[in-house]
Amino acid sequence: MIWVETIINGILYGGLYGLLGVGLALIVGVMRVVNLSHGEFIVLSAFIGVSLVGAFPWVHPLVMLLPVAVIAFGLGVALQAVLINRVVTRPDPFAAILLTFGVAVVMRNLMVEIYGADLRHLQAGQLALASTGIGGLHVGVLPLLILGLSVALFTGLQLLLTRTRFGRIVRATADHRDVVRLMGVNPGRVYNLVMGLSLALASVAGMLLAIRASFSPYSGVERLLVAFEVVVLGGLGTFWGAMLGGIALGVAELVGLRLDPNAGPLYAHLLFLVGVLLRPSGLFRVRT
Amino acid sequence: MTVGVSTPRTGAGSRAPGRTYRAWAIVTLGGASVAAAPWVIGEGAQRFLSEALLMLAMAQMWNLLAGYAGLVSMGQQVFVGLGAYCLFFASIWLKVAPFWVLPLAPLLCAAVAAVVALFMFRLREAYFAIGTWVFSEVVSLMISKTERLGGERGVGLPTARLVDPHWLEPLTFWISAAIAIASVFGTYVLLRSRVGLGLMTVRDNEIAAASIGVDVWRNRFIAFVLAAAGCGLAGAVSFTATLYVAPGFAFDPNWVVAMMIIVIIGGIGTLEGPILGVIIYFALREALTVVFGLSAGWYLIGLGLVAIAAILFEPDGLWPLVRGHLGGDWLSVRREPPGPLRLAEAAPVAEAASARGLGATPGDS
Repeated sequence: MIWVETIINGILYGGLYGLLGVGLALIVGVMRVVNLSHGEFIVLSAFIGVSLVGAFPWVHPLVMLLPVAVIAFGLGVALQAVLINRVVTRPDPFAAILLTFGVAVVMRNLMVEIYGADLRHLQAGQLALASTGIGGLHVGVLPLLILGLSVALFTGLQLLLTRTRFGRIVRATADHRDVVRLMGVNPGRVYNLVMGLSLALASVAGMLLAIRASFSPYSGVERLLVAFEVVVLGGLGTFWGAMLGGIALGVAELVGLRLDPNAGPLYAHLLFLVGVLLRPSGLFRVRT
Repeated sequence: MTVGVSTPRTGAGSRAPGRTYRAWAIVTLGGASVAAAPWVIGEGAQRFLSEALLMLAMAQMWNLLAGYAGLVSMGQQVFVGLGAYCLFFASIWLKVAPFWVLPLAPLLCAAVAAVVALFMFRLREAYFAIGTWVFSEVVSLMISKTERLGGERGVGLPTARLVDPHWLEPLTFWISAAIAIASVFGTYVLLRSRVGLGLMTVRDNEIAAASIGVDVWRNRFIAFVLAAAGCGLAGAVSFTATLYVAPGFAFDPNWVVAMMIIVIIGGIGTLEGPILGVIIYFALREALTVVFGLSAGWYLIGLGLVAIAAILFEPDGLWPLVRGHLGGDWLSVRREPPGPLRLAEAAPVAEAASARGLGATPGDS
């Protein structure tokens, strides 16, 4: 029974991991850039969330997801417009990697200077502790809510990209950056919006993760690695694959912790390495 | 830097005799000043120089990977840490002075890199970068969990007492200097060899290189293994100086952060770039932390901003600018094209060939 519970919790936790990765999968799919500051933005949104919750204690933390996502969207647009668009068209594929890495170093250390290096936690009151019994199993209400929110966001993203005019423009830009110019599309502007969307999704994941696990300015590295593992395991640039990748990692991590309490994320990393060894093109290749 | 045509000189590959003398004079002078340094400068200065020299060696290894082999590794700290752990435990278990077991560190790192390359090379570009990083995290977590290896708390180096304390600092300094010099000239020799030519053709155009028969995988493999050995050696010496190793320090991503920033600022894909980068890196550190009294965090922020500016405005780093002012060839691995002499020799052949309608370019031989 305890194993069933562990696996269910792993799946719930994994939905959150999928959300960490889907923003990265989006920009990998659209502009073939890996944003190495993704983890730092996840942590930054958690800090912004903590500050907002501190400033408005009568508002429920989950309501704060919205303003934090809006701020993260703005930051994403700014990051893309000011920095990444300048290198994204260069033939050298490393320019964007190195640039975002520089951004990550600056952000991480700025957060240490501003917020200090202590571990933080986002308080969610009663909700964080509430649990419900389903067929004799104890499952937290918050994890269930988080999984539901993840699925809703994944579905929303999927619909946005496949059913709307904006989605059509994004997919066309991903396929032929130069050809869409002929149709009057400015690829740089599309990229701005896509990066904003990517970081908005990441910020939601960052806030929710801050409720479940403590974080510090140094957590960005860990978050980036998880997000990246989700992207690779899910098959590069696919969304539902990212969700399944996240769930696989969540289950691996919680089962690992059950077997070996001080393992940390070791088993998730091992799953990733084994996955890469066996299927370099991703464990779950789902067409989007 | 490109392999190809530069301005023709006098003879084919011959160098002016004055340049050879000057090179030897520089080598002798440099060797003598390194040997004499411990009697001239204090222990603090030696420690500082050792640190900078080891950092130069690591940065040069990262430059070999990213600038020539097209492999951006963000897990290079795994070899720094493994080298240090190998040295510590070999020295403790064999009960000998740490310097005697130093050669084991690069050997272990080379062996690990050879195995890791088998599966990491399936990943390309950013995926390779983060794949190596994940590998480093896994090794770090595993060592943290192994009490026999000191666990999370780490271990000291009691066998350092076997070295005369008066000689510990000078020995570290000399070894660091030797490693730094070997990293620069070793990379130079490697890049002048067939392997180096192969690496650079792959970097410039992978498909074209593969189609003329360059073994892309093999050349990258050699570079990855050598870079791992270099980082392992430098890491081992670096932790000998601190007499203490723990997973948090040994596998700290800041090692690779420093390597990357140094190479980006100095000039990626040039041998002189990392040297210039190390000078700027340590000058900035001393200026910000000692002169202005800022914390290490602000100094990393400053370096990150400089690196971002470099990528945006000077993607080739600062060395090409500096070289433009100084002139000369320095450590260029560029090859001389066959000069007029060879051209004259080749002329009849070329004529014969063109007579048969084949055509030949003088540079082909």
